Amino acid sequence: MSHGDTIPLHPSSQSDIDEIENLINAGPATVLPAHPPSPQRASIPVSSSPFIPSNLPPPPPSAPAAAFQKAPTSTPPSVPAAESSRRGIAADGFGSPPNTLTEPVWDTVRRDLSRIVSNLKLVVFPNPFREDPGKALRDWDLWGPFFFIVFLGLTLSWSASVKKSEVFAVAFAVLAAGAIILTLNVLLLGGHIIFFQSLSLLGYCLFPLDLGALICMLKDNVIIKIIVVSITLAWSSWAAYPFMSAAVNPKRKALALYPVFLMYISVGFLIIAID
Amino acid sequence: MEEDYTSLPTSHLLGSVPAVAAEDKTGGAARESSTANLQNSPPANGGYQAPGSPYGGDEQATSSWKGACSISSYTPYFNVDSDIVVDRLITSVYPMNDFTRKIDGNPDLYGPVWISTTLVFMLAALGNCATYLMRKRNEPDIVWNFDVTYVDWAACVIYGYALAVPVAFYFLLQYVGCNASLIRLWCMWGYSLFIFLPSSLLLVAPVEIVRWIVIILAGAASSWFVALNLKAYTDGSDLMVLIVSALLLQFALALFIKIFFFV
Repeated sequence: MSHGDTIPLHPSSQSDIDEIENLINAGPATVLPAHPPSPQRASIPVSSSPFIPSNLPPPPPSAPAAAFQKAPTSTPPSVPAAESSRRGIAADGFGSPPNTLTEPVWDTVRRDLSRIVSNLKLVVFPNPFREDPGKALRDWDLWGPFFFIVFLGLTLSWSASVKKSEVFAVAFAVLAAGAIILTLNVLLLGGHIIFFQSLSLLGYCLFPLDLGALICMLKDNVIIKIIVVSITLAWSSWAAYPFMSAAVNPKRKALALYPVFLMYISVGFLIIAID
Repeated sequence: MEEDYTSLPTSHLLGSVPAVAAEDKTGGAARESSTANLQNSPPANGGYQAPGSPYGGDEQATSSWKGACSISSYTPYFNVDSDIVVDRLITSVYPMNDFTRKIDGNPDLYGPVWISTTLVFMLAALGNCATYLMRKRNEPDIVWNFDVTYVDWAACVIYGYALAVPVAFYFLLQYVGCNASLIRLWCMWGYSLFIFLPSSLLLVAPVEIVRWIVIILAGAASSWFVALNLKAYTDGSDLMVLIVSALLLQFALALFIKIFFFV
């Protein structure tokens, strides 16, 4: 019995684990029938819990059946495999949250990073042929904007020779307050935008300016700085344009877009001017 | 729907039952009174009453402070289109007094907020550039130094002026007896700052006499704009002192911009 290293998810799943072990110990010939033929137990098979629609039972028996097929070959690994497949099915049966609590930290971090990268690709490199243009709007998150704002503040602070902490403070405050004020501006103009979604998009559109700040930190020539900042500024504005202009009435598009350009131009100027 | 006159009086009322108006008023009153305990309102005003209005009245009484925190209470002040804003900006440059007429029906706060924000940014940025260029003419080996305190000073001065001066004039006008609207005063003073934006671009030129000519012209135009439009609010009564003080304040702001930011 290896219950010590498993987390009992639900009483009925615990009984299912007992059931699996009984079936394995009884031998493979009795395994194949579906769950209902164990009448002495009032155990609810995982796949037919009351929350699951009735069309679900066919897939799960095949997975335990496949797991049970492996049982005669090597018993100890099959028990955790069956349990993990059961746990996976149990988790899908009762909803996914228990799975994310028990998964390794690296999985969580990797999942968030992949979401940041996918949002970045959708927002900053908009592909006109992509299949789902609204995906970034639905899957918004605030980790990406947070990283980009802090990175920009740190880069500017490293580039500055004096008053480093004040430069970071000014950059962070301007960007954070600016994103909030821009969203409020769109809402006041009668536009339809969700507050945190807009914060998320404006944060992702800072990514080109991050690259520009990094290049300007490495190369200190004023002419190169001006060229690089102009290019990245145009890129940021081009990335932010579709979201902002779609949110308001077409007659007020310029009123909603002008503050966005103003904020990016002021950040661009800060990048050039920091020596 | 002109042929259906029975539904005409109530067709625009929210939540009202159109069939009530088709009957005579007593039948309507009876029907309304049967549902009155649901709505907590006695039928009044001739028998039919839009069911939503008593709730609306209660909500307005209890949410008077919550209204300050919700966005929808400020939306009427941003009810402008791009072309209207551009038109108001152009009107503010020529010191004529028809600006008051233009904003009378629909004063907006979009112009003042973003004009002052743009002015803060431009003063900080161009002030640094202009100071650097001017010093470079005198000492050729000076290095570029971005003075962040220009941002602080610009923000304090411009936002403070644009916020406080209209409030002060509002209270003064109320004290004297003229009826003034704070929103229109904020709108007018905010748009009066627009002329400093192109003039700050011209002020970067490191020639001292050019700078002085530019700022005197811009200051005079802006002050005259403020004076003419303020006169429209105090029409009738003789309040030259207030108008002259507004004019002098605006001119003092222009001189301060030149002296502090474009040394």
